Amino acid sequence: MTTSSRMELVCPAGTPSALRAAVQAGADSVYCGFRDETNARNFPGLNFSPQELAEGVRFAHAHGSKVLVAINTFARAGDTDPWRRAADTAASCGANAVIAADIAVLDHMATQHPDTRLHLSVQAAAATPESIGFYADAFNVRRVVLPRVLSVQEIAALNRAITVETEAFVFGGLCVMIEGRCYLSSYAAGRSPNLNGVCSPPEMVSYDEDRDGTAARLAGFTIDRYAPGEPAGYPTLCKGRFKAGDKAGYLFEDPVSLNAGSMIVAFRAAGVTALKIEGRQRGKGYVTEVVRAFRKAVDAAEQGEDATEIDSILASLSEGGRQTTGAYRKIWR
Amino acid sequence: MVLDPNKDASLPEPIRRFLPAFSGRPLGPLLTQAMRSLAQRRPEAFERLGEFCKAHFLIDPTDLPFIFHVVPDGRAALVHTTGKNGALPSDVVIRGPILLLLGILDGSLDGDALFFHRAISVSGRTEAVVALRNAIEDAELRPSDLLGLGGNVARFADSGILGGLSLARQIVTGTHRRERTDS
Ligand code: SF4
Repeated sequence: MTTSSRMELVCPAGTPSALRAAVQAGADSVYCGFRDETNARNFPGLNFSPQELAEGVRFAHAHGSKVLVAINTFARAGDTDPWRRAADTAASCGANAVIAADIAVLDHMATQHPDTRLHLSVQAAAATPESIGFYADAFNVRRVVLPRVLSVQEIAALNRAITVETEAFVFGGLCVMIEGRCYLSSYAAGRSPNLNGVCSPPEMVSYDEDRDGTAARLAGFTIDRYAPGEPAGYPTLCKGRFKAGDKAGYLFEDPVSLNAGSMIVAFRAAGVTALKIEGRQRGKGYVTEVVRAFRKAVDAAEQGEDATEIDSILASLSEGGRQTTGAYRKIWR
Repeated sequence: MVLDPNKDASLPEPIRRFLPAFSGRPLGPLLTQAMRSLAQRRPEAFERLGEFCKAHFLIDPTDLPFIFHVVPDGRAALVHTTGKNGALPSDVVIRGPILLLLGILDGSLDGDALFFHRAISVSGRTEAVVALRNAIEDAELRPSDLLGLGGNVARFADSGILGGLSLARQIVTGTHRRERTDS
């Protein structure tokens, strides 16, 4: 589906204060989730209670913004109640859309809450006209969040072949594997973003000091080592620095962040409806700064102006201070 | 506030030399009372901690002669202060210069950035630290919340204390001088 209206800026909120910050910084929509395993960002102290969601929706609507609720893990066989409850609560709070990947959750929403829009989560990893067409026909999905493995040309071709809206990630942390199908965290820690909502869960993370510096470990596996004073990172498995032979390096992915701010015009031309900022686990300072910068850039792009300066504005907020346009600009092809 | 996490934010030596005379002991009951009354006024700030409200946090301001033991259990919260050698068993240890620790508490500094740049150090149960960080992040605490003040007095206290802390951080890290000479 190609779009002719103004592109929507979709922004992260891990807490009610981040939701307010995003709305005040110019978010068209804010996405958030409940404080449980139905949410693929199920970290301690993060997320919303049903009451906080209801208040957040009221606040966002009063300021002209929408709220999208992520119920985007895969329901546990034999125990689907938490997912049903989350879907019912989101609908009763007045959420503008539910973002889901599991066909059980999609089916429950489509049959019980047909008036609430359904967006297909990136966790469903739907990237072909056939798979997207299936979700549109079966559950009346109105928008698909695209996996970060497509080039902008591929997105343009996809949009010509489908009838639903597309949403593309433009900024924040990168999942290198196809979303919803990464088992690195399950392998090391027995818990994954797909089923439990946590990649590299914090209860299995330790930072151990010794005389050579600090070792960041996940479930006993050393994911990285830092010399004294060297900036450290969270031990996410795919961003680990491993030694093979006598050479140490990032085997899966360099710790770089996605910044496709310079490609907003290209996304528009490719028919993308909404631009998504990652970072529900980040603080409200980050949310304010990134949303404000993207608000300016999207508005500039809508008026046909250049938005490339966004790269330098946001460099300091990126992981390791390094940025990439990811698969969107596949120069090696 | 922009703060270079690589700059030493510890209190200057003359101030530190003056401090051993003050053991921090009277602070324990005062902070216990402040936390409990905050929990009464804003229970949601503590609910966010979930099970970790019962965790024992040892907070060690590296430039002060005492440490805090904190159990942020809402209306049953407890704060003890002891000398550096009196550390009780804890789930989490957070160490750093006092001005940075206070900056995290009032939300003017990003705890993640300070940790990843090694300006503060954290050890123990990472999930309890993550919960505490997120709870503080959402609480948007002002000094007046801790002091139980309201109205104009609260506004006056907030701007005075936050302004003072920000200035103190700029002075000890040298950003104050640099900003002036740059302009
Ligand atoms: S290990 Fe990396 S690629 Fe896999 S789910 Fe976690 S962040 Fe994504």
